[in-house]
Amino acid sequence: MATVSFNAVEKSFGATKVLHGISFDIHDGEFVVLVGPSGCGKSTLLRMLAGLEEITAGTIAIDSKVVNDIESKDRDIAMVFQSYALYPHMTVGDNMAFSLKLRKADSKMMADRVAHAAKILNLDPYLARFPRELSGGQRQRVAMGRAIVRDPKVFLFDEPLSNLDAKLRVAMRAEIKALHQRLKTTTVYVTHDQVEAMTMADRIVVMHDGRIEQIGEPLELYDHPDNLFVAQFIGSPAMNVMNGHVKRGGGAAHVEVAGGVRWPLQQGPGAEGQAVAYGVRPGDLRLASANTDGAVPAEIVVVEPTGAETELLIQAGNDQLILVTHGRPNVNPGDRIGLSIDPAKVHVFDQGTGARLAA
Amino acid sequence: MNWKKVSTEAKLLLIGIPVLIWTMLPIYHLMLFAISPKESALGGQLWPDHPTLQNFRIVFSAQHHYLEHFWRQMWNSLFIAVATGVLTLVIATGAAFAISRLKVRGGRLMMNLALMTYFIPAAFLAVPMYKTMGVYGLLNSQWSLILAMTTIAAPYSIWVLKQASDKLPWELDEAARIDGASPLQLFRLVYLPLMTPSLVAVGTYALLLAWNEYLYAFLLLSNDREITLGVALGNFLSADDSPWELLMTTGLIYALPPAAIYYAFKRYMVGGLTAGAVKS
Repeated sequence: MATVSFNAVEKSFGATKVLHGISFDIHDGEFVVLVGPSGCGKSTLLRMLAGLEEITAGTIAIDSKVVNDIESKDRDIAMVFQSYALYPHMTVGDNMAFSLKLRKADSKMMADRVAHAAKILNLDPYLARFPRELSGGQRQRVAMGRAIVRDPKVFLFDEPLSNLDAKLRVAMRAEIKALHQRLKTTTVYVTHDQVEAMTMADRIVVMHDGRIEQIGEPLELYDHPDNLFVAQFIGSPAMNVMNGHVKRGGGAAHVEVAGGVRWPLQQGPGAEGQAVAYGVRPGDLRLASANTDGAVPAEIVVVEPTGAETELLIQAGNDQLILVTHGRPNVNPGDRIGLSIDPAKVHVFDQGTGARLAA
Repeated sequence: MNWKKVSTEAKLLLIGIPVLIWTMLPIYHLMLFAISPKESALGGQLWPDHPTLQNFRIVFSAQHHYLEHFWRQMWNSLFIAVATGVLTLVIATGAAFAISRLKVRGGRLMMNLALMTYFIPAAFLAVPMYKTMGVYGLLNSQWSLILAMTTIAAPYSIWVLKQASDKLPWELDEAARIDGASPLQLFRLVYLPLMTPSLVAVGTYALLLAWNEYLYAFLLLSNDREITLGVALGNFLSADDSPWELLMTTGLIYALPPAAIYYAFKRYMVGGLTAGAVKS
């Protein structure tokens, strides 16, 4: 159990700077997910915490103790790799016991720890097998077992589910989450998959180009993205974004986009004529009849029923939007419809800086 | 089996059969000599009228002037070959681990410099090597040959092992580091077990190189009790009336250990040990 603090952490590979001053704290027992597109520096940051990469500038502290110059093995951390990194010549049991063996742990304690971890992960029947005799999911569990046996201060996960198929990924996601709820060990988890981030994290750190875009609880990021990047990165399907200008007057404010379509706006955000990005989540668009007062006129392009929900691809002016609705609306491609929007649920960002405009 | 398979098979046979004959023919004649009585050894028959194992008896019981030290020389060959194999392995494994896994600064340069020694044919280096061994007082000691052969085998061995260890997943080193392994523990507990197939292959290579060496063995060793069997075979030709059937018999016997070694370690030459380490 431990806290982790990053303080103005920078990383350069030669002349290329990949992390530009990262600062944030992780609380004791927290499950923090670092998420961002590939190349954003999230894995590098994790590897610096693990001691596998040098820290160019700034400090990383575990339990308030700066670990910059402490070797990996003395940081009391355990890491689960994307490729599992199991020792192929050792049995599952030996893989899990390896770190304890190196620490010359008492053999009774070693056996107990391995048995305990195997029980938690349902690996008991496989302890004598070799990694090559296991399925992907089982190998992943062995990698987690190897981490659990250590009873470390911090668990590090580097895209642990990317090598699994979709169904197994969902199952392992729940397993890792349950494991954390049971062990309450501080966890740092790296992924490029925002769904993984949303479902697993206590807090999410969204990274982009070596900088932190926003830190917050999953729903906080979803409901109040600080900027356009976070707005578009978090949420599936992604937020609909239209570029236009703020128009006021006549009581109702709106954003007018190219093609003349007017999107309703609350009085607050944006100055008259300001170039803005107008964002609305697919779930916040409502279908209305074409002649409803105040509805934006649009046309259905594609209907994609998924069972519980239906995804509609809609053309409104020059923009294509996605609308997600519960149930099975009775619409067909080519239908003229209206889109009604609750202005309170709209996100408005400055087009130039991408920053959220206060509502 | 469809037509395409048949034709592929036929083409392979068309290449394979001549190659087989090409390789086996000298060995066949070697064997022919070995089982022929002295009188008919040079008779040019494809099969002797009276095949005999008499030659083997003479060789094994060292009952000929040239074969006086047969067992001793056989042992010399074996000792020198095994020592060269082991020494080369120790040097090459250490170097490959340092270059490939520890990324020692200048490691690659060292390896390339070592490989550059192959630009000079070994035969040209024989005399300088002889001088060097003389300076260190090693002439006529079997260690001179062991060291010389290790020098010749090491660069290639380092290169092969470096290539093989580059293929080991890097995450294994990182996982071991986090698990608390020192470089030496990483070497012993993770690296060596995973490199076993390559180590066997390289060890066998160095061993066979030393076993089959003639020039260096001939130059560096001169005492009849110290020379290898290979050199002793050469000495058969020092007289006009060389006992060809005994020479060939000894040659056949001399060729058996390498064949046996190769056969025994064949399965190690095929990888597969790293299966399951990482998703590939």
